[in-house]
Amino acid sequence: MAAVKQTIETVAALEKYEHGFTSQIDQEFAPKGLSEDIVRFISAKKGEPQWMLDWRLDAYRRWLELEEPTWAKVSHPPIDYQDTYYYAAPKEKTGPKSLDEVDPEILAVYAKLGIPLKEQAVLAGVEGAPRYAVDAVFDSVSVVTTFKKELAAVGVIFCSMSEAIREHPELVRQYLGSVVPTSDNYFACLNSAVFSDGSFVYIPPGVRCPMELSTYFRINAKDSGQFERTLIIADKGAYCSYLEGCTAPMRDENQLHAAVVELVLLDDAEIKYSTVQNWYPGDPETGKGGIYNFVTKRADCRGDRSKVSWTQVETGSAITWKYPSCVLRGEGSSGEFYSIAVTNGHQQADTGTKMIHLGANTRSRIVAKGISAGKSSSTYRGLVSAHPKAKGARNFTQCDSLLIGKTCAAHTVPYIEARNGHSVFEHEATTTRLSDDQLFYCQQRGLSQEEAVALLVNGFVKDVLQQLPMEFAVEAQKLVAISLEGSVG
Amino acid sequence: MTLATALKTGDLTQLPSRRDEDWRWTDLRGLIRQVPPASPAFDDDVAAGPFDGLAADEILFVNGRQRHAAASGAGEVVALRFVSATEGTAHAAAYAIVVEPDTTLVLLESHEGQAGGYFSDVTLDIAVGEGARVERIVLVDDDAEAIDVVTAEVDLAPGATFNQTVLTAGARRQRIETRVNHPGAHANVRLDGVYALAAQRHADQTTIVTHGGVDGVTSQLTKGVVDDQARGVFQGRIVVQPGADQTDARMGHHALILSDKAEVDAKPELLIFADDVACAHGNTIGALDDEQIFYARQRGIPEAEARAMLTQAFLGEVVERIEHEGARAVATAWVAARLGRAE
Repeated sequence: MAAVKQTIETVAALEKYEHGFTSQIDQEFAPKGLSEDIVRFISAKKGEPQWMLDWRLDAYRRWLELEEPTWAKVSHPPIDYQDTYYYAAPKEKTGPKSLDEVDPEILAVYAKLGIPLKEQAVLAGVEGAPRYAVDAVFDSVSVVTTFKKELAAVGVIFCSMSEAIREHPELVRQYLGSVVPTSDNYFACLNSAVFSDGSFVYIPPGVRCPMELSTYFRINAKDSGQFERTLIIADKGAYCSYLEGCTAPMRDENQLHAAVVELVLLDDAEIKYSTVQNWYPGDPETGKGGIYNFVTKRADCRGDRSKVSWTQVETGSAITWKYPSCVLRGEGSSGEFYSIAVTNGHQQADTGTKMIHLGANTRSRIVAKGISAGKSSSTYRGLVSAHPKAKGARNFTQCDSLLIGKTCAAHTVPYIEARNGHSVFEHEATTTRLSDDQLFYCQQRGLSQEEAVALLVNGFVKDVLQQLPMEFAVEAQKLVAISLEGSVG
Repeated sequence: MTLATALKTGDLTQLPSRRDEDWRWTDLRGLIRQVPPASPAFDDDVAAGPFDGLAADEILFVNGRQRHAAASGAGEVVALRFVSATEGTAHAAAYAIVVEPDTTLVLLESHEGQAGGYFSDVTLDIAVGEGARVERIVLVDDDAEAIDVVTAEVDLAPGATFNQTVLTAGARRQRIETRVNHPGAHANVRLDGVYALAAQRHADQTTIVTHGGVDGVTSQLTKGVVDDQARGVFQGRIVVQPGADQTDARMGHHALILSDKAEVDAKPELLIFADDVACAHGNTIGALDDEQIFYARQRGIPEAEARAMLTQAFLGEVVERIEHEGARAVATAWVAARLGRAE
């Protein structure tokens, strides 16, 4: 109950979008627009080797031939890809440096966001408190990565993608684009051409990563797009838990965020990937502004008995288009997807997952909770498929939608493709509204309407919240409550 | 973008393809290389239909042509037959039915393949008046090489009841689509389906129910069994439009896959634009339960028979929901025959 109480207090205390500030930081931009020259510019700026540039140019040429997908249940004015900055970086920072060298203005931004960038600041807490290694990405570059030394001691590589391309080219060349191929889809292809930074993680065989790893993405510059690329490789028997958070300033223009996340799992490896997505959702009254969040996330369970778990809390973004997927190739591998998608105001979310069963005895579980309020719409779109060789595959899917108010919409669009006689697929979905009886009961007990909504909604999403790492769960609970503020009555 | 248009114009680009979202599992453009010649008139006698003896009136189409004038003031039980009688030819037929307010109609519809490899396209318009009651039973017995598309557009008035059961054994490629415009207003819809597919047959049952007003009920149950290299497709969509509050819609699809080369594809969709609704769908796909088979064998029932028994019981749940007694008996026997069990 303490957490619930805290939620209620937070709801009362907070503004609608607390991360909407902008910071005046000297920044360097690539010229607006997209062309081969821009791709070369980004690559040169990062001092990349020729093979990386060739890879980008190949992606750019393929992108020119692709068409923007239109099947998602979202609508937005056509995106002008020439009206965006594809590279924006704080001046004179070519890559992550030690904390002392980071622009104090940037540190101030992260302090305001409550992200611990100082290692000692984290350590100063109670003994045994969980610690987080953070890779902070500011617009197009990674500004700092913490705890690198301590992680290196156990063989874990945790650094920015630019650094990985310089320091560990053999790993990057082997795995980059092997899960999400360059021309996988329109936005992944665009990302492959212009990606600027992101995190790179390698966990060596048998190592259990000693602390939570996390990335914090911040869009700051106006009219810029963020295209980060994350690659996590868990070698045989390795384990890591990875957290991702993101925010952006409040602006009237739409900004594009097209990321690609690739996870590679070898035999017996396990990755737990959690996201709390809180990009600026646009003005709740007019729907103006906000981030277009078009993300491709995929895990490739190559090894036998490997396990991947995606947990996401999606509360922000004007438009979300995101389907974290699991390719269950290894025998006995398993995939999980836990999702809470909250939409309010004029937000549109089309999100879900793909569970592709290729190996024998593979298992997957999907729990998706959608909450729509205001004039928003939220769609669960998911694919579960079993290949003829995936004998003994099992899937359980549960999608529940909660509607708050007369003008919102909730859709469920599952695709199930079963291609062998030894699999079991179960799917159930419900759509209901917040029960008047329950609201009345809570209000009768002295809770205000908004407190009652927060309480009931937290109960509705509890199954998913429980999957989040502790600190994230508390934050996520607050976010869910804040996003729904003012949605009843 | 329909088979009928392609048959009329000979333009293959008019065929729906895998790239059309609603046809992704029923690709006609990739399959059809050329449009066959139009079916000739067929004046010989045709064999009796599956519902022979149950209906007072019969409306008969052979090769897309209506044989006798529609019975006016048709009785309560009407047989509607679409017979394809000439091999390797194509035909399209359209028919409209108006059910007057406060009347009752049992429509015993059959699609009968009495030749091989034909193309058939049937479009039906059914308007159900206020307070009227319709039960539509559709039995589709196509040739293994046939391509068959049946589309029904059903318009309901307030207080109407529309119950439907589709039974099919598939074809080379087959689509049975039902679109219901549901006014809410105490109208009641039941849409059921059964498919029992073997060899290389394909069957697609697609339903779209659009709830446009308050207080509507829809209940759907589709069950299927696929064997050999057959492919069953179920696409169910329930749309609740803004303002269609108090809608109660439930959809279930359950399938058994009996062979490792068979396939079932399902897409149960809910598109909800109103908040005061109770909508749910469930979907399961799997194999027969080994424990149940073990239990039966333990009791002395040979494995093959145990499998047939369990499969028949599985499909039986849908067949039992047919209200018209005679039609239910025909359907039960038909299912038994498909599963290789004599009734």
